[in-house]
Amino acid sequence: METSATEQSRAYRGQSRQKRVNVGPGERKASMAGGAALALSGLWSIGRRNYLSGLAMIASGGMLLYRGQTGHCGMYEAMGVDTVHTQGSGLRIEKVVTIGLPPHQVYEFWRHLDNLPRFMKHLESVQVTGERTSHWKAVGPGGLSTEWDAEMMEDTPGQQISWHSVGSADIPNKGTVEFKEAPGNRGTEVRVSIDYYPPGGTAGRAAMKIAHGLNAQQLEEDLKRLKQILEVGEETTARRTA
Amino acid sequence: MRAVCWHGKQDVRVDTVPDPEIVQKGDVIVKVALTCICGSDLHLYNGYVPTMKKGDILGHEFVGEIVAACPGVTHFRVGDRVIVPFPISCGACWYCKHELWSLCDNTNPNSWMMEHIYGDTGGGIFGYSHLYGGYAGGQAEYVRVPFADVGLEKIPDGIPYEQVVLLTDIMPTGYQAAVYCNINPGDTVAVWGCGPVGLLAMKSAKLLGAERVIGIDRFPDRLQMAHSQCQAEVLNYEEVDVAEQLQNMTGGRGPDSCIDAVGLEARGTGIEDVYDLVKQTLRLETDRASALRQLVRACRKGGTLSISGVYSGFIDKFPMGAIFAKGLTVRGGQAHVHKYLPHLVKLVAEQQIDPSSIITHRMSLEDAPAGYRTFLKKQDSCIKIALTPEHAAPKTEPASP
Ligand SMILES: [Zn+2]
Ligand SMILES: [Zn+2]
Repeated sequence: METSATEQSRAYRGQSRQKRVNVGPGERKASMAGGAALALSGLWSIGRRNYLSGLAMIASGGMLLYRGQTGHCGMYEAMGVDTVHTQGSGLRIEKVVTIGLPPHQVYEFWRHLDNLPRFMKHLESVQVTGERTSHWKAVGPGGLSTEWDAEMMEDTPGQQISWHSVGSADIPNKGTVEFKEAPGNRGTEVRVSIDYYPPGGTAGRAAMKIAHGLNAQQLEEDLKRLKQILEVGEETTARRTA
Repeated sequence: MRAVCWHGKQDVRVDTVPDPEIVQKGDVIVKVALTCICGSDLHLYNGYVPTMKKGDILGHEFVGEIVAACPGVTHFRVGDRVIVPFPISCGACWYCKHELWSLCDNTNPNSWMMEHIYGDTGGGIFGYSHLYGGYAGGQAEYVRVPFADVGLEKIPDGIPYEQVVLLTDIMPTGYQAAVYCNINPGDTVAVWGCGPVGLLAMKSAKLLGAERVIGIDRFPDRLQMAHSQCQAEVLNYEEVDVAEQLQNMTGGRGPDSCIDAVGLEARGTGIEDVYDLVKQTLRLETDRASALRQLVRACRKGGTLSISGVYSGFIDKFPMGAIFAKGLTVRGGQAHVHKYLPHLVKLVAEQQIDPSSIITHRMSLEDAPAGYRTFLKKQDSCIKIALTPEHAAPKTEPASP
């Protein structure tokens, strides 16, 4: 905890008891997404008899959800943190998978951006809007949706694609996907790195960090699905009935 | 349809559940003619494998007849009698292409669980928890079998189901355990555990040219079976110091290869057993390693430890120093069933091997709960139980489909 925050908190405690909005709009959305996911995985843990960690997750998940819905965070108030007007720095997730096809084939699949929602489960759609521009719609846990425009910054066929969000994205982000031939005829090493910028300084960053682990897990599972689609022809399932 | 469902620790029930359907392009529906309870099903039964859910259909050893096939399936058609390997393999990934079928990259939709625990995932397995994909099992009237073109093996006309049902798992598992021993003429192979896999490993070791096989267990009727069926010399580990006895039997060298066919619920003796039991109960150690420690001690220098028993968790007090000092090779893992099936079917057809000789109990699928209890307590000299769904209880096996 930063000293300045503690000093500020004393000042805030002297103020009125009325609840004020001290959580920025972008972070509210991130809080709700992270909170719902955390509460869900908390339930999952309890199902697995990890009662303590499960309860802790539900508690903090619920706290994030509440904060997202009301725009007010009791803990922030106590800490004297206000994230409405401050901007945080980026968090990075990076995952790699090896897919048994040559780089240009994997690149081709990815370059048709409307393929992305087939394996990225949180994406509702990616619409190509121009030669280098696209519009993305995503649904987070709890049905919360968010949209943004993206622009391609680099496109080297068979090797690399990178993009960044433009305009007023709730969670500004940029990413790169590299396609590299794997040794010994093993196919292609696909490396994805995504930087996203939670609004709201240190505290926003902390809230985002909780959701971060879940996002990294999600990206890993997304890449697993991409591998299944390209190697097997479809996503594999243990479902018993159609 | 009727199916054997997991409801909790030592609680399985036969429930009525919806019939399976074709879901993907590689699917067939198999009408189960015969299915078995496996020793590793007991780990599920006893609650040692996490991620089981109420209502999960058990069973990974089953044979039967194809009653529906997706048009995408080209090698098989309705009416074919088939052997279904327990690992589910895609046939397209690097591991499948290198005949490491049970390590398939693409058939475990819950791969992240195993990746978090073990660092990487194996393929899915029928009826073996959500850790292994959450596929419904074969202790049922019907099963959805994905990747049919990759996994299935046709049963030649005239061979009854009973002779090939163990080719779905424990026969190839025992065979692979023996293959991993790299048996040379004159070799002695010691096998810990004279249960189904152990017995078939001994038969396989003989088939692959072992001079002597030695069976180790604590149940006299199992030892008797190893002796009469596999021409094995036998040791009861509750009566003798196994490592010392093995040294004496092998000119002071120790067996050339040691097969572990016991796995995570192995019983030891004395203080070591109590230590493991306490730690296992407290979940500090999830596997009991008495047998494994004995294998390491007994094996000759430069020999091979072949692990076919199922381990799922952590082991401490593992004699790593001995493995290093004696230059041992350790091999193990789920059987790559697909790799061995054609050869094993041929051996059965030529009557060189009859795995059905170890089936001691035959009962209806409806009696599965009693079957699990009998098998768990090793009552009534129970080695292997085969279950028959009611619809498929013909008096005589059809000569051809
Ligand atoms: Zn089995
Ligand atoms: Zn595969």
